[in-house]
Amino acid sequence: MHRELIHLTVNGERYEVAVPPQKLLLDVLREDLGLTGAKRGCDDSSCGACTVLVDGLPVLACAAIASCHQEAQITTVEGLAAGGELTPVQVAYGEAGGSQCGFCTPGFMMTIHALLAQNPNPSDAEIREALSSNLCRCTGYMQIYEAIRLAMKRAQQPAEARS
Amino acid sequence: MSLPALHVVRPKTVDEAVRVLAQHGPQAMILAGGTDLLPNLQMRLYAPQVLVALKEISGLRGARAAKDGALRIGALTTLSELLAEPVVRQKYAVLAKAAATVAGPLQRNMATLGGNLCLETRCRWYNQSHFWRQSLGGCLKKDGTVCHVAPGGKRCWAVWSGDTAPALLALDAEIEIAGPAGERRIPLESLYRNDGMNRIALQAGEILTAVLLPAAKAGWRGVYNKLRLRNSIDYPLAGVAVAMDVDGGGVCRDVRVAISAVNPAPLLVHQAGETLIGKKYSRELIERVAHAAIQRGKPLTTSGSTPVYRREMLELYTRRGLEEVWGGRTHSADRND
Repeated sequence: MHRELIHLTVNGERYEVAVPPQKLLLDVLREDLGLTGAKRGCDDSSCGACTVLVDGLPVLACAAIASCHQEAQITTVEGLAAGGELTPVQVAYGEAGGSQCGFCTPGFMMTIHALLAQNPNPSDAEIREALSSNLCRCTGYMQIYEAIRLAMKRAQQPAEARS
Repeated sequence: MSLPALHVVRPKTVDEAVRVLAQHGPQAMILAGGTDLLPNLQMRLYAPQVLVALKEISGLRGARAAKDGALRIGALTTLSELLAEPVVRQKYAVLAKAAATVAGPLQRNMATLGGNLCLETRCRWYNQSHFWRQSLGGCLKKDGTVCHVAPGGKRCWAVWSGDTAPALLALDAEIEIAGPAGERRIPLESLYRNDGMNRIALQAGEILTAVLLPAAKAGWRGVYNKLRLRNSIDYPLAGVAVAMDVDGGGVCRDVRVAISAVNPAPLLVHQAGETLIGKKYSRELIERVAHAAIQRGKPLTTSGSTPVYRREMLELYTRRGLEEVWGGRTHSADRND
């Protein structure tokens, strides 16, 4: 099979991989880089389980070709808690039960982090709108919204009051 | 599923893209945002040998004023970028409202305006996996000889399923096309062929490079109503774009109404102008235009809802759209009716 040498920057690290030129970003992340956080859910780009950030914007890695993203900064769920410490949203997700079967969680995580980076204090309507491309088949949406509100509330408190 | 083996070319200029497209003819396809093409390729709806990815061409993104005062929007502008343009939100309401209903926020971060205007037509017998289609022996549009929507017919009824196209028809937009013979500028309306199999009139090697919104339509009131099963992600089952210029006394100076997702092309309802221009708000006149819309729309069994229901919603959304821009009535419901 014809392969092409491409460069990808994922979670701040530069990778060089030889892949077929049409290989999807999702498949390169999962199969060539071993980053299996992003999931293949629906196969028709309608579920959001494969969400990653490309230059800070949440996009569907299953509708993107890896060789077309060589200039981009890509962030996957593995890049969020890179130092080993969970982000406030990840902690709140655990406490509020935002994750049930867990399959949609990495995708939701990326969309939520992009939302809060752009708008640290979104309204309930803005949260719902921002997450409306991500599907949860366990239908745990209420717990997911609760986790986001919990993380937002903590971010507004001074650091010492949290401990 | 993965993509079939193919070459991906990443030209840096429009000229280079045109050259590669012309060289490979029907073996090449254009890749813009990928949200329509790549899922379709994963379903093996096409078998190109070359994808020409436009992403790295600079100068095809963003909005700026053209010489004639029109707003020129580059074809590679994503729908999210389009929605973030203050001039679009303030001056071309119908486009902003339609773009905001396309798929969901993740798809809009990728999908481009040009791609949305060149969407593949859709049909429940076509947008299926290879296995599913094969079990049925294919259809007129792909791998078969029978149309399951209108058996016996030789015409493909796969439905135009875009949202920005009707809005741009309502704004009388033009498009710029680059090709082997140079550039041309045509009304958006003449891009569409109303044929499910051969949906747009782009010749081999041609690329849609920009959309032009006429200055004369800036500030028109506008509304887009869309029927879909879920309030996010889904393609339209029926869509109605209404744009109107109303004078201080409430008289309709000009109006354009376009319908989507009920024919193989987005179509203007020409009777809207004949019926409403020069008139003051009237329920009876609005009814006449709503009736004209359902004469124009031909919903068939292409989609995830019945033709009867989509026809009724087409009428309702035409009436609602006109009441909203003309009579100032607002309807909170854009959900399931």
